[in-house]
Amino acid sequence: MRHARLIAVAGTTACLLLTGLGFSSTAGAQSPTIQISNAWARRAATAHGGTATGSMDKGGMGKTDSSANGAVYATIGNTGKEQDALLSASSDAAQTVELHETKDEAGVMRMRPVPKIAVAAGGKIEMKPGGYHVMLLGLKRDLKPGDKVEVRLKFERGGEVHVHAPVK
Amino acid sequence: MRNCHRGGSVAALALVLVLASLASGADFKGGLLTPPKAAPDFALTTQDGKDFRLSRERGKVVALSFGYTFCPDVCPTILAELAEARTRLGADAKRFHTVFITVDPERDTPAQLRKYVSAFDRSFTALTGPPGRLTEVQKAYGVVAEKRVVAGTSASYLIDHSAFVYVIDPAGQLRLVFPFGMSIEDMVHDFKLLLQR
Repeated sequence: MRHARLIAVAGTTACLLLTGLGFSSTAGAQSPTIQISNAWARRAATAHGGTATGSMDKGGMGKTDSSANGAVYATIGNTGKEQDALLSASSDAAQTVELHETKDEAGVMRMRPVPKIAVAAGGKIEMKPGGYHVMLLGLKRDLKPGDKVEVRLKFERGGEVHVHAPVK
Repeated sequence: MRNCHRGGSVAALALVLVLASLASGADFKGGLLTPPKAAPDFALTTQDGKDFRLSRERGKVVALSFGYTFCPDVCPTILAELAEARTRLGADAKRFHTVFITVDPERDTPAQLRKYVSAFDRSFTALTGPPGRLTEVQKAYGVVAEKRVVAGTSASYLIDHSAFVYVIDPAGQLRLVFPFGMSIEDMVHDFKLLLQR
């Protein structure tokens, strides 16, 4: 019972965290059927420079370091009458962008690429830590709290949606 | 496959521990190890190239997590939560230490680790070392880490790994195991409880 409560509390906390930051998809492109809400990106440091919390980098190699990665999360709502799917994503902030899902198998986290993320007609899907995420591989710059990351999401039916995800 | 199965059992055991204590009505929110045992000691190298030995951390609560810097999802989530927890500890923060141990010594050099944890909290220590020694530490804590070459990604490999946070009290006893997704509020509650005793 305590465990159920723990999960509920964790879920509530995640929701509060998400809603507390008040994001919008101030978009360059919108879709009539796809609604993106609660978009955010996890902060990350590349070798290029420090972060808002202070840099520990002293060397600053000045080269592209493909080993710094990031993640973008959002809730995708589909108000259409047919199932839709997120097919791919792109961003100028990273060399490569992929769709990934982490699965928790008895405490072991297994992260895998997924070909698409389906969103049922009239339904929604929440990308969140430990689940679906847009993975940014090879960050070109630091993702610092207060910054925004632009991500273009391409849907099977809904077309392309631009999202500006605040970094936290 | 056999590896996978064995990994599952270890993780399942850890989960049973967590569930058992959650059901027992203990004061703690995380999974309580009863009786507590001395936290297995280890000596590794920090992100600044310095020697680190766990047994020198007496007097502090240590939150120990395992992961790798290529990981954009689970590992940063845990580190961000521990950074927030430390902030909420206020004056107690100086007796709290987050230690992150890589499961990917191949890619995680000290410089790479330094860069990675700098995004979260300057007080964090990130550790690497010879692969054999890291494997010993994983075994001592029941951590599963399995390297996977996966199709459909530009990543050359990924590492499946357990995502528990191991909490060591100021006397050096391994006391608690936090499951992934535990709230920051509950983490802070448990850290404070350990710091009071």
